[in-house]
Amino acid sequence: MKSKYSRLFTILFWAALAAAPLFLGDWNLGLLSQLMIYGVFAMSLAFIWGQGGLLCFGQSLFFGIGAYAMALTTKGMIPGVPAITLAGLVLAIILPSLVAGILGLALFKGRGLYGAYFGIVTLSAAVIAERLAINWSYIGGFNGILDVPPLRLEWNSWHIEFYDPLLFFLVVLVAAFSAFLVLLKLERSAFGTVLRGIRDNETRAAFLGFETAEYKAVAFAISGAIAGLAGALFAVQFAFVSPAILGFALATEVLIWVAIGGKTVLLAAFIGALAVKSVENVLSDTLGQYWLLALGLLFVTAVVVLPRGLLAPFLNLPLPPALRQSKPLKKPTTT
Amino acid sequence: MEMTLLIGLDAASYILTLLLVCIGLVIIFGMMNVINLAHGEFFLLGAYTVVLLQQYALPFAVILFIAFVFVALIGLIIEEIVIRRIYHRFLDTILATWGISLALKQLVIVLFGPGSQQTMAPFAEPIVMFGITYSSYRLFVMSMAIVITATTFLILFRTRWGLTARGVIANRQMASCLGVNTRRIDRVTFAFGSGLAGLAGAIMAPLMSVDPQMGVGFLVPAFLSILVGGIASPLGAIWGASIIGGSNSVVAAIWTPVIAQIVVFSLAIVVIRLMPDGFAGRKKR
Repeated sequence: MKSKYSRLFTILFWAALAAAPLFLGDWNLGLLSQLMIYGVFAMSLAFIWGQGGLLCFGQSLFFGIGAYAMALTTKGMIPGVPAITLAGLVLAIILPSLVAGILGLALFKGRGLYGAYFGIVTLSAAVIAERLAINWSYIGGFNGILDVPPLRLEWNSWHIEFYDPLLFFLVVLVAAFSAFLVLLKLERSAFGTVLRGIRDNETRAAFLGFETAEYKAVAFAISGAIAGLAGALFAVQFAFVSPAILGFALATEVLIWVAIGGKTVLLAAFIGALAVKSVENVLSDTLGQYWLLALGLLFVTAVVVLPRGLLAPFLNLPLPPALRQSKPLKKPTTT
Repeated sequence: MEMTLLIGLDAASYILTLLLVCIGLVIIFGMMNVINLAHGEFFLLGAYTVVLLQQYALPFAVILFIAFVFVALIGLIIEEIVIRRIYHRFLDTILATWGISLALKQLVIVLFGPGSQQTMAPFAEPIVMFGITYSSYRLFVMSMAIVITATTFLILFRTRWGLTARGVIANRQMASCLGVNTRRIDRVTFAFGSGLAGLAGAIMAPLMSVDPQMGVGFLVPAFLSILVGGIASPLGAIWGASIIGGSNSVVAAIWTPVIAQIVVFSLAIVVIRLMPDGFAGRKKR
């Protein structure tokens, strides 16, 4: 099911995004940046779910930690850490990644959790984090943190602030494209191949000598880092974080975007988020309450009828030649 | 002394409520290997049946019966349209039932509005015993939970249908070879489990504010309960509800309900990690 034109579609899509400032006004650019942030978040889930086969029901945990790390750092609320954008970004990537990695190791090592158990445990972890944030008054409690400062780069006496929607859009575009490239590179490396091997048959991968628990934990950490990056950008764009972004609602929303777009293809998940969110912006006014009803039904249909997603077949890039399988492997014959 | 008794009663009340919600969940999960995230919305439908039918001044027992049958029918339809196509795709059942739950909840909002509705308990006089007063309806809910659980166990372990159903769980292929219609068992099991959720919702409705979000609050504790208890046997629901419900009530009495949830959920994750088979399954290994 590899589309001949998938490479062309992929390049055209990124070119179109890069050309967007030529056609869109400030308001729409802001909207597009917001959609792309959700897209990055969706890619982080697609990586762990589509490649690693781990259905994470609590991806918002890492998004939220990233957002809180960014907000707390840039407001100077973490003692010992300078209140600059760069420190915020670094923390927003490292912190969720550490949490994901440690959680992953704890869950996968030994006779680890798998399948639905993993889903329910991650969901509970997200719910716990939301409750914690609501009750932790230092980080704003129920109201969250207001007035998160905009991105700001400093060099000696020179500095630049990314107030302008165009500048912020370019930052998000660069972040999204880098996240895409990094994840794509990983997916098409030996690491990605092993990960897919574990997804398809963990026992076999373990018998071949791979430490499957560690592979999964590392993949989970990478996915957490990308989700944290998306969270940091989100905090800056809205200038606001609240406990809701840690919890249940966002965690399940991102699942819907990725399932509709297609979990095995990064760009399909990215566009899935863009498409669902922008359709929601347009239709939630006209359809009102029926929009969520329609989305729920569409989601069920996509899961049952098109488990690969609506967009994945058109955007599935061919693997690099070294990893391609020239012909189907023969089934072992018993003699 | 009275304080201890009151906390004990509250704990028992929470445990039995949780058990009421879990019993349908564990039947569907344990017997069919389907994670039903729409369980909370089946619960919701049961509660709204009470809202709707109380306008016609029907006896409460009749309302409960209708709620069970109505939600069981909904379950039957959903099984036929969606679930049966994805039995072999375990993870996808979570996603599909999540979508169903979203759609059902939104349907309720469209029909009844997002606000909360009031239902009346059939009797409300407090009862005085051992020097403390306690709501009589709460006691009724607790006894109903015990009766329903006992009935479910009788059906599963003392009837021919229960025997066949357990045969299908143990070895689906063999059961089907012996002439058991496994499709019919699947259908009935899913409908029965859904109906139990509806019945639980109907029984609980007078104690809660009936609004479209009421099912969500039970989702996480109920799933953690059945995982802690173990899904291999319906007994797991009793174990899980007692452990999660009991510890939650005790911690909530000492600190606050929110801290209780944080502490109990975290501990539950650790327990699930260390004992994936749950308490009910630990002896078999």
